[in-house]
Amino acid sequence: MRKETKNFIVTLTYVCFTAFFVAMCICAGLNPRAQSESERRPLAQFPENITAKGLFDGSVIEKFDAFTVDQFPLRERFRGLKAAFQYQVLGLKENNGLALQDGYFAKITPEFTEGLVDGSIERLSYVYEKLVSGKTYVCLVPDKNYYLGRDYGYPMPDYEAVIQKLQTALPGAQYVDIFDALSLESYYRTDTHWRQERLLPVAEKLCAALGVPVGKDYTKNTLEGFKGVYYGQSAMSPEPDALVYLTNDTLADCTVYDYETGKHTGIYNPEKFGGKDGYDVFLGGTKALLRIDNPNAKIDRELVVFRDSFGSSLIPLLVQGYQSVYVVDIRYVMPDALPQYIDMGGKDTLFLYSGLILDQKAFK
Amino acid sequence: MLFSSISFLYYFLPLVLICYFILPFRLKNACLLLFSLGFYFYGEPVYAFLMLGSTLWSYAHGLLIEKYRGGKLGKVFLFSSVAGSLLALGFFKYADFFINNVNSIFNSDIPLLKLALPIGISFYTFQTLSYTIDVYRGETPAQRSYIKLATYVTLFPQLIAGPIVRYTTVAEELEGRQHNLENFATGIRRFAVGLGKKVLIADTLGAFASTLHTMPHPSVAGYWLYAVAASLQLYFDFSGYSDMAIGLGRIFGFHFLENFNYPFISKSVAEFWRRWHISLGSWFRDYVYIPLGGNRVNTLFWLRNIAIVWFLTGFWHGADWTFIIWGLYFAVFLVLEKFWYNRVFIHLPKFCSHIYVTLVILVSFVIFSGNGVSGMLDDLGNMFFLKGLPLWSGETGYYLRSYGLPLILGILGATPLVKIAVEKVRNSRSGWVADALEPVFLVAVLLIVTAYFVDGSFSPFLYFRF
Repeated sequence: MRKETKNFIVTLTYVCFTAFFVAMCICAGLNPRAQSESERRPLAQFPENITAKGLFDGSVIEKFDAFTVDQFPLRERFRGLKAAFQYQVLGLKENNGLALQDGYFAKITPEFTEGLVDGSIERLSYVYEKLVSGKTYVCLVPDKNYYLGRDYGYPMPDYEAVIQKLQTALPGAQYVDIFDALSLESYYRTDTHWRQERLLPVAEKLCAALGVPVGKDYTKNTLEGFKGVYYGQSAMSPEPDALVYLTNDTLADCTVYDYETGKHTGIYNPEKFGGKDGYDVFLGGTKALLRIDNPNAKIDRELVVFRDSFGSSLIPLLVQGYQSVYVVDIRYVMPDALPQYIDMGGKDTLFLYSGLILDQKAFK
Repeated sequence: MLFSSISFLYYFLPLVLICYFILPFRLKNACLLLFSLGFYFYGEPVYAFLMLGSTLWSYAHGLLIEKYRGGKLGKVFLFSSVAGSLLALGFFKYADFFINNVNSIFNSDIPLLKLALPIGISFYTFQTLSYTIDVYRGETPAQRSYIKLATYVTLFPQLIAGPIVRYTTVAEELEGRQHNLENFATGIRRFAVGLGKKVLIADTLGAFASTLHTMPHPSVAGYWLYAVAASLQLYFDFSGYSDMAIGLGRIFGFHFLENFNYPFISKSVAEFWRRWHISLGSWFRDYVYIPLGGNRVNTLFWLRNIAIVWFLTGFWHGADWTFIIWGLYFAVFLVLEKFWYNRVFIHLPKFCSHIYVTLVILVSFVIFSGNGVSGMLDDLGNMFFLKGLPLWSGETGYYLRSYGLPLILGILGATPLVKIAVEKVRNSRSGWVADALEPVFLVAVLLIVTAYFVDGSFSPFLYFRF
């Protein structure tokens, strides 16, 4: 090929490519999108109130840069291209900290943040010392990254150390080990959470420790198209999960009282499946304080569960043996306020927390 | 503004290209000046005035030096020009370094100025210095047009991270230069290569280096891998930026000199420095080393000259003792090579000299990347089994598996092998395939780097702050 021809083709390619995307940028800028559904966040807009001060302190330029990135045309496809390039061309095991193994996305956390985990456990210790009087149990929920570490050699944090810290901080509590009752397949591929239909071995272990009968004769109810939190973060448009929730006669008769709204609902809220987070089907999602009443309970026992969102799908499987189960999330309610609502005397207490939440500054 | 950003690629560059190419030649320099100021203002609004002031200082001194060249006043104006430029550089870049050291030595409590470092000040100061010195030496006439001189100093392709373009290199092109398809296409090719080197290789290896440096279970092997990754990151980051600068310059008709020439294939430290950051090395050679007497002095003075040049080379890179140690570290090896290189390596196979240089360079970039002197000593201690680390850890293996391919690509890309292979294909019977794939390669690079920008990976160039 002649040199002039090659130069012409290269120049034409660049000019056409740039002209196309500049035109697209202008169109996208004129009709900016407000929200990124896949990332669950608002997108940056063209900076308002452009002032001399804003120009000189760099804030206007910072906002404009964010606008150009967030409103770039075909944004989701570009994010997908980058993820595919990282995983499939460069062979990286992570993209933006997310690993992809056998179709499962997981956040890789080589270690827990020392101060954060200690702070969280200190808070649980406070609750334990101040409020708990009956039999107490503690259970650590491993993240998917534990199984990626154990089975595939990914770096994983030291769960053993956290278990020891929990046992030290809650000295009278019985630790219930559920690590072997789970595997990578116990979790959704596109979400942090575990699958309720895979939790029966966990429920059996816990019920055995609590000394209550485990529920049985469950019917599987499937909701197709569950896009978990990693679905958008991955940018790979993976196959959505199926969300399965288990029902039986006992659960059908149970009612859930929400102390915040003062309303009664059922254990499951399938109508929430179409909302921002499909996992809200279980116990209505993030709730500060709930009470599950089981009219079919044979004995007069009550349970208080201090939990995070992993508890939402597990707790329905523990209800069988209790007349009432109080579900407390101290991320949304001050522990000191609880005696107004719950008489803790004589009740079993279970601390059910995931490593993921303990590794955050989440508790009130 | 960063070259590796959406705002540059899809807003700034198309706009400057349109304006530049539709304007008549007499307005092209003014157009470049305006856009270059806008480019700088975008990242450093306040310091744009400092840069213009510094240019004005050099402009006025250039005229005065030329007028009084050969006389005492010429020397006075040269001294005043150099002192003024160095004072500004010293004040903005090194003031807190000196205050810190004075406080440490005299146990005083002088408050730090905490000034933000003006981006690119080290580069444009050296450019203006070369201009006034060259005028004094009679190597170039003083520029009579402030706009032309300011265009040279602020020229956005090389403004913030070099290469250090000397006035004499572009003086003629400021007056008149060619704009044609070959310049444009060559510039675009070079820019795309640089962009790919920076975004796809340097940033990936940077993430590798950073992960190895901070992983919870480090190992000796991990620290050596860190040294390799950090060295390659620096090379691809800086040489990628130089490629982009040279490419952009070419689009506008300027021919900047090469700044890198495969430094990692060197067989001696001296050769390494003839291949690494060539514009800085040659600047110190021509404006410091040779005026001090170079190597045409007795051994003692030569040692002094080497020490001064490499102290300054290190110090130029940053206001920290680690950079000074880094510079002097090279001085030591250059001196050793002068006296013993031929005696030792002439009897050994070629690969021994490569291994020697590689080891020296790896250690040097660990010094360079150290977080202060204590951090640097920790890193070196970890590399040489002095801190009780195990040889290997599971995490080291995991990250090596993860970053293995980019690492291999980086190592291969740091040698001329890729270039040789491409040339071979081009000159073969199937050369048309390479020609046909060129636009595909260009589009692929632009698409992938755009994908990286859109995903929001903010990655400032490492050489910005030097």
